[in-house]
Amino acid sequence: MEDEFFGEKSFQHYCAEFIKHSQQIGDGWEWRTAKECSDGYMCKTQFQIKNGTTASHLGTPASVHACLPTEEDLELAVDGSEVMESTTASEVIKYEYHVLYSCSYQVPVLYFRASFLDGRPLALKDIWEGVHECYKTRLLQGPWDTITQQEHPILGQPFFVLHPCKTNEFMTAVLKNSQKINRTVNYITSWLSIVGPVVGLNLSLSYAKATSQDE
Amino acid sequence: MTDDKDVLRDVWFGRIPTCFTLYQDEITEREAEPYYLLLPRVSYLTLVTDKVKKHFQKAMRQEDVSEIWFEYEGTPLKWHYPIGLLFDLLASSSALPWNITVHFKSFPEKDLLHCPSKDAVEAHFMSCMKEADALKHKSQVINEMQKKDHKQLWMGLQNDRFDQFWAINRKLMEYPPEENGFRYIPFRIYQTTTERPFIQKLFRPVAADGQLHTLGDLLREVCPSALAPEDGEKKNQVMIHGIEPMLETPLQWLSEHLSYPDNFLHISIVPQPTD
Repeated sequence: MEDEFFGEKSFQHYCAEFIKHSQQIGDGWEWRTAKECSDGYMCKTQFQIKNGTTASHLGTPASVHACLPTEEDLELAVDGSEVMESTTASEVIKYEYHVLYSCSYQVPVLYFRASFLDGRPLALKDIWEGVHECYKTRLLQGPWDTITQQEHPILGQPFFVLHPCKTNEFMTAVLKNSQKINRTVNYITSWLSIVGPVVGLNLSLSYAKATSQDE
Repeated sequence: MTDDKDVLRDVWFGRIPTCFTLYQDEITEREAEPYYLLLPRVSYLTLVTDKVKKHFQKAMRQEDVSEIWFEYEGTPLKWHYPIGLLFDLLASSSALPWNITVHFKSFPEKDLLHCPSKDAVEAHFMSCMKEADALKHKSQVINEMQKKDHKQLWMGLQNDRFDQFWAINRKLMEYPPEENGFRYIPFRIYQTTTERPFIQKLFRPVAADGQLHTLGDLLREVCPSALAPEDGEKKNQVMIHGIEPMLETPLQWLSEHLSYPDNFLHISIVPQPTD
């Protein structure tokens, strides 16, 4: 069934390689197998703190915790910051990022959801506020490039999604380029480094080095 | 002998008699009588229930009205699933009318997508159509269409206009003369007994030897538990649009004639009723 350029087996292979490196640097990504099926997805939970009344720009590394913080880390962040006056639990946001495979488009798809620590989910407009200005213009250009709320195909719960249909276009360019300069590429690493920052998910540079070291 | 085209009309005009009742804990200023409506199987709840909303809002104060949502026997109803699919999956073994409870508060954030406007239904519908064509034609047919053709598909559905819809949709049902069918069949199989909302996989309508795959072939490959063992008792019904097609039916034919307007075959596996 896999005559495609990026089939499900490739997806699972690249995710496995990606997670290997994540484990080495304690970045928190893990693989979850779906019940009743052989497929699965990659996921990571991350906590971010809203500074004062405005949402921190999620694209800026300073405001993003790259790995799962302990409670101590959160306390330190709260105490050490001058910007935050009275940070309450309601200003800490839990982000869950899931990377799934779309067999219809034969590309990975990024699903995510966010909630306050008390369980209240963030609405689309809150998510939108956290998207960096430079990404907003690109996203507003077409309905197919935007963030929408959709049902998670394995969990059946509402998540936000970056629409996958343009993925092939930009990934083809990335892969062609790397072939030219004879460099191996982990499809998932490259793809996630492009779409992730739009929604507050940043990758450590060591992921890129990990891939070229493998060959 | 029924023409194949008649099947398209029968599918489009399928209706489910429904009784909408306001949830007892909603705060009302006057008595809210139940509201009866024939729901189109091929449409979506939030698209066809304006009258239901107006009827119950008349009995309530403005401040007690938040986003409307529907529930059947405790299960929140996903508005983004076609009505016929919801009925077949959840209520096909119960007596008619379908009894749906209407809510205006405590929206179940963990279970249901928000539906802020008709635009959200349109976006979802077009997204499904796009995905179906990605499977059938690598998106070539739908991408070649103009914006006005996309609009016509949506307006046809919204206004219950069979001819308007199929004038454009027929193009999505074509395939190259040298092939015997679509590249892959857009389908989703639903069961209430699983945590996973549906099964969707790549599946070709034609085998390597040119034989047409059947509904039975599909189930054997992606959902074998749905089928009874060779000599065993039939445990489940395999239902599309309220009927059980023969398992020998070619999948390509089902895709062309029994798909929903979003071009997907939405198949329900429900326990065989014991009456």
